[in-house]
Amino acid sequence: MMRIEPAAWQAMVRHAEQSYPNECCGALLGVVENGVQRVSLARPLRNVYAGDQRDRYEVDPTELLAVDREARAQGLQLIGIYHSHPDADAYFSKTDLENSCPWFSFVVLAVKKGRVEAAGCFVPEADQRSAIRQELVLPEDSRFCTSKP
Amino acid sequence: MVKILIPTALRQYVDQRDAVEVEARTVGEALETLSRRYTELRRHLYNEEGKLRSFVNIYLNDEDIRYLQREATPLNDGDTLTIVPSIAGGGHGDQHHQCAC
Ligand SMILES: [Zn+2]
Repeated sequence: MMRIEPAAWQAMVRHAEQSYPNECCGALLGVVENGVQRVSLARPLRNVYAGDQRDRYEVDPTELLAVDREARAQGLQLIGIYHSHPDADAYFSKTDLENSCPWFSFVVLAVKKGRVEAAGCFVPEADQRSAIRQELVLPEDSRFCTSKP
Repeated sequence: MVKILIPTALRQYVDQRDAVEVEARTVGEALETLSRRYTELRRHLYNEEGKLRSFVNIYLNDEDIRYLQREATPLNDGDTLTIVPSIAGGGHGDQHHQCAC
Protein backbone atom coordinates (compact mmCIF):
# COMPACT_ATOMS: atom_id res chain seq x y z
CA MET A 1 0.00 0.00 0.00
CA MET A 2 1.14 3.54 -0.74
CA ARG A 3 -0.05 6.46 1.35
CA ILE A 4 0.66 9.97 0.05
CA GLU A 5 0.77 12.83 2.56
CA PRO A 6 -1.08 16.10 1.81
CA ALA A 7 1.93 18.31 0.94
CA ALA A 8 3.36 15.71 -1.44
CA TRP A 9 -0.02 15.14 -3.06
CA GLN A 10 -0.59 18.86 -3.58
CA ALA A 11 2.85 19.20 -5.18
CA MET A 12 2.12 16.34 -7.60
CA VAL A 13 -1.27 17.74 -8.60
CA ARG A 14 0.15 21.22 -9.12
CA HIS A 15 3.00 19.84 -11.23
CA ALA A 16 0.67 17.70 -13.37
CA GLU A 17 -1.76 20.57 -13.96
CA GLN A 18 0.95 23.13 -14.72
CA SER A 19 2.60 20.75 -17.21
CA TYR A 20 -0.67 20.10 -19.07
CA PRO A 21 -1.03 19.41 -22.01
CA ASN A 22 2.39 17.80 -21.64
CA GLU A 23 3.26 14.89 -19.42
CA CYS A 24 5.15 15.59 -16.23
CA CYS A 25 7.26 13.26 -14.10
CA GLY A 26 8.74 13.30 -10.64
CA ALA A 27 10.13 11.29 -7.76
CA LEU A 28 8.31 10.11 -4.63
CA LEU A 29 10.32 10.14 -1.42
CA GLY A 30 9.37 8.83 1.97
CA VAL A 31 9.70 5.88 4.29
CA VAL A 32 8.54 2.27 4.21
CA GLU A 33 7.07 1.01 7.48
CA ASN A 34 5.50 -2.42 7.95
CA GLY A 35 5.06 -2.74 4.22
CA VAL A 36 3.33 0.65 3.89
CA GLN A 37 5.04 3.21 1.68
CA ARG A 38 4.49 6.64 3.20
CA VAL A 39 5.33 9.39 0.70
CA SER A 40 6.16 12.70 2.38
CA LEU A 41 7.89 14.49 -0.50
CA ALA A 42 7.12 14.71 -4.22
CA ARG A 43 10.07 16.09 -6.14
CA PRO A 44 9.31 17.30 -9.70
CA LEU A 45 11.78 16.10 -12.33
CA ARG A 46 12.28 17.45 -15.83
CA ASN A 47 10.62 15.59 -18.67
CA VAL A 48 13.60 15.12 -21.01
CA TYR A 49 11.80 13.20 -23.75
CA ALA A 50 13.10 14.72 -27.00
CA GLY A 51 9.90 14.44 -29.04
CA ASP A 52 6.24 15.29 -28.42
CA GLN A 53 5.77 15.33 -24.64
CA ARG A 54 1.98 15.22 -24.79
CA ASP A 55 2.08 11.48 -24.49
CA ARG A 56 5.68 10.66 -23.54
CA TYR A 57 8.00 11.27 -20.65
CA GLU A 58 11.57 10.41 -19.83
CA VAL A 59 13.48 10.93 -16.60
CA ASP A 60 17.07 12.19 -16.71
CA PRO A 61 19.04 9.56 -14.74
CA THR A 62 21.52 12.21 -13.57
CA GLU A 63 18.67 14.13 -11.98
CA LEU A 64 17.40 10.92 -10.41
CA LEU A 65 20.89 10.35 -9.00
CA ALA A 66 20.75 13.81 -7.37
CA VAL A 67 17.31 13.07 -5.90
CA ASP A 68 18.54 9.73 -4.56
CA ARG A 69 21.36 11.58 -2.78
CA GLU A 70 18.94 14.15 -1.44
CA ALA A 71 16.71 11.36 -0.11
CA ARG A 72 19.62 9.64 1.61
CA ALA A 73 20.76 12.91 3.18
CA GLN A 74 17.29 13.41 4.64
CA GLY A 75 16.89 9.83 5.84
CA LEU A 76 14.24 9.20 3.19
CA GLN A 77 13.97 6.57 0.49
CA LEU A 78 13.30 6.94 -3.19
CA ILE A 79 10.07 4.93 -3.28
CA GLY A 80 8.48 5.67 -6.60
CA ILE A 81 7.99 7.75 -9.69
CA TYR A 82 4.90 9.67 -10.72
CA HIS A 83 3.89 10.86 -14.16
CA SER A 84 0.78 12.33 -15.72
CA HIS A 85 -1.52 11.24 -18.53
CA PRO A 86 -2.93 14.35 -20.22
CA ASP A 87 -6.49 13.64 -21.38
CA ALA A 88 -6.08 9.93 -20.72
CA ASP A 89 -6.96 7.62 -17.85
CA ALA A 90 -4.87 6.63 -14.86
CA TYR A 91 -3.75 3.29 -16.25
CA PHE A 92 -0.34 1.74 -16.87
CA SER A 93 0.28 1.59 -20.61
CA LYS A 94 2.36 -0.91 -22.54
CA THR A 95 4.94 1.81 -23.21
CA ASP A 96 4.99 2.63 -19.50
CA LEU A 97 5.63 -1.01 -18.71
CA GLU A 98 8.38 -1.52 -21.27
CA ASN A 99 10.26 1.60 -20.22
CA SER A 100 9.75 1.43 -16.50
CA CYS A 101 11.96 -0.23 -13.99
CA PRO A 102 10.57 -2.99 -11.78
CA TRP A 103 12.20 -1.49 -8.68
CA PHE A 104 9.68 1.25 -8.05
CA SER A 105 6.01 1.94 -7.56
CA PHE A 106 4.57 4.13 -10.32
CA VAL A 107 1.80 6.61 -9.66
CA VAL A 108 -0.14 7.77 -12.72
CA LEU A 109 -2.24 10.94 -12.62
CA ALA A 110 -5.03 11.38 -15.16
CA VAL A 111 -5.31 15.05 -16.16
CA LYS A 112 -8.50 15.87 -18.06
CA LYS A 113 -8.82 19.34 -19.58
CA GLY A 114 -6.07 20.57 -17.28
CA ARG A 115 -7.43 19.12 -14.01
CA VAL A 116 -6.21 16.03 -12.19
CA GLU A 117 -9.16 13.66 -12.04
CA ALA A 118 -7.88 10.26 -11.05
CA ALA A 119 -4.79 8.43 -9.87
CA GLY A 120 -3.55 4.88 -9.84
CA CYS A 121 -0.49 3.10 -8.51
CA PHE A 122 1.29 0.25 -10.30
CA VAL A 123 4.25 -2.02 -9.67
CA PRO A 124 5.85 -3.64 -12.75
CA GLU A 125 6.71 -7.34 -12.45
CA ALA A 126 10.40 -8.21 -12.73
CA ASP A 127 10.03 -9.42 -16.35
CA GLN A 128 8.25 -6.15 -17.33
CA ARG A 129 5.49 -8.12 -19.05
CA SER A 130 2.77 -7.10 -16.62
CA ALA A 131 2.15 -4.80 -13.69
CA ILE A 132 0.26 -5.18 -10.43
CA ARG A 133 -2.14 -2.52 -9.24
CA GLN A 134 -1.18 -1.33 -5.78
CA GLU A 135 -3.55 0.22 -3.24
CA LEU A 136 -3.13 4.00 -3.16
CA VAL A 137 -4.34 6.11 -0.24
CA LEU A 138 -4.63 9.86 -0.85
CA PRO A 139 -5.25 12.66 1.65
CA GLU A 140 -8.88 12.75 2.77
CA ASP A 141 -9.52 16.15 1.28
CA SER A 142 -8.31 15.24 -2.21
CA ARG A 143 -11.17 15.86 -4.59
CA PHE A 144 -11.57 12.36 -5.95
CA CYS A 145 -11.03 8.76 -4.96
CA THR A 146 -8.56 6.36 -6.49
CA SER A 147 -9.75 3.25 -8.19
CA LYS A 148 -9.45 0.43 -5.68
CA PRO A 149 -7.49 -2.68 -6.64
CA MET B 1 37.35 -0.31 -0.83
CA VAL B 2 34.59 1.15 -2.96
CA LYS B 3 31.07 1.85 -1.80
CA ILE B 4 28.05 0.74 -3.84
CA LEU B 5 24.84 2.64 -3.02
CA ILE B 6 21.81 0.36 -3.22
CA PRO B 7 18.41 1.65 -4.42
CA THR B 8 15.55 1.26 -1.91
CA ALA B 9 13.80 -1.51 -3.82
CA LEU B 10 16.93 -3.68 -3.94
CA ARG B 11 17.82 -3.41 -0.26
CA GLN B 12 15.71 -6.47 0.50
CA TYR B 13 18.34 -8.54 -1.36
CA VAL B 14 21.30 -7.10 0.54
CA ASP B 15 20.18 -7.60 4.16
CA GLN B 16 18.39 -4.21 4.12
CA ARG B 17 21.66 -2.30 3.71
CA ASP B 18 21.60 1.03 1.87
CA ALA B 19 25.25 0.64 0.82
CA VAL B 20 27.70 -2.24 0.42
CA GLU B 21 31.49 -1.96 0.43
CA VAL B 22 33.55 -4.19 -1.82
CA GLU B 23 37.18 -4.59 -2.81
CA ALA B 24 37.50 -4.21 -6.59
CA ARG B 25 39.74 -2.79 -9.32
CA THR B 26 37.08 -2.14 -11.94
CA VAL B 27 33.37 -1.31 -12.04
CA GLY B 28 32.60 -4.73 -13.52
CA GLU B 29 34.51 -6.48 -10.77
CA ALA B 30 32.71 -4.47 -8.08
CA LEU B 31 29.28 -5.39 -9.47
CA GLU B 32 30.33 -9.00 -9.94
CA THR B 33 31.55 -9.18 -6.34
CA LEU B 34 28.31 -7.60 -5.14
CA SER B 35 26.08 -10.02 -7.03
CA ARG B 36 28.20 -13.01 -5.98
CA ARG B 37 27.82 -11.99 -2.35
CA TYR B 38 24.08 -11.37 -2.73
CA THR B 39 22.97 -13.92 -5.31
CA GLU B 40 19.29 -12.84 -5.28
CA LEU B 41 20.39 -9.43 -6.52
CA ARG B 42 21.95 -10.77 -9.72
CA ARG B 43 18.78 -11.15 -11.79
CA HIS B 44 17.82 -7.57 -10.97
CA LEU B 45 21.08 -6.21 -12.37
CA TYR B 46 21.94 -8.64 -15.17
CA ASN B 47 19.92 -10.21 -17.99
CA GLU B 48 20.13 -13.86 -19.07
CA GLU B 49 23.15 -13.14 -21.26
CA GLY B 50 25.00 -11.84 -18.23
CA LYS B 51 24.87 -8.22 -19.44
CA LEU B 52 23.70 -5.35 -17.29
CA ARG B 53 19.94 -4.94 -17.84
CA SER B 54 19.02 -2.20 -20.28
CA PHE B 55 17.48 0.09 -17.67
CA VAL B 56 20.43 -0.15 -15.26
CA ASN B 57 22.76 2.86 -15.24
CA ILE B 58 25.86 2.85 -13.10
CA TYR B 59 27.40 6.09 -11.92
CA LEU B 60 30.99 6.28 -10.72
CA ASN B 61 30.85 9.25 -8.39
CA ASP B 62 29.12 11.76 -10.74
CA GLU B 63 29.85 10.11 -14.10
CA ASP B 64 27.77 7.62 -16.04
CA ILE B 65 30.16 4.69 -16.74
CA ARG B 66 28.87 4.65 -20.35
CA TYR B 67 30.90 7.80 -20.88
CA LEU B 68 33.94 6.31 -19.16
CA GLN B 69 35.17 2.81 -19.93
CA ARG B 70 31.91 1.11 -18.99
CA GLU B 71 32.50 -1.99 -16.85
CA ALA B 72 36.25 -1.81 -17.48
CA THR B 73 36.40 1.60 -15.78
CA PRO B 74 39.12 1.45 -13.12
CA LEU B 75 38.26 2.23 -9.51
CA ASN B 76 40.18 4.05 -6.82
CA ASP B 77 39.95 3.54 -3.10
CA GLY B 78 37.05 5.60 -1.72
CA ASP B 79 35.05 5.74 -4.97
CA THR B 80 31.27 5.53 -4.84
CA LEU B 81 29.14 3.61 -7.33
CA THR B 82 25.42 4.34 -7.56
CA ILE B 83 22.85 2.17 -9.32
CA VAL B 84 20.30 4.43 -11.06
CA PRO B 85 17.55 3.12 -13.35
CA SER B 86 16.38 4.61 -16.65
CA ILE B 87 12.70 5.49 -16.52
CA ALA B 88 10.36 6.58 -19.30
CA GLY B 89 6.85 5.93 -20.54
CA GLY B 90 4.01 7.06 -22.69
CA GLY B 91 1.80 6.05 -25.54
CA HIS B 92 -1.37 7.11 -23.77
CA GLY B 93 -2.88 8.83 -26.76
CA ASP B 94 -3.89 5.39 -27.90
CA GLN B 95 -6.73 4.73 -25.45
CA HIS B 96 -7.63 1.32 -26.83
CA HIS B 97 -4.29 0.04 -25.58
CA GLN B 98 -5.13 -2.15 -22.68
CA CYS B 99 -3.87 -1.52 -19.17
CA ALA B 100 -0.73 -3.56 -18.66
CA CYS B 101 -1.97 -4.86 -15.31
ZN1 LIG C 1 2.02 6.49 -18.50
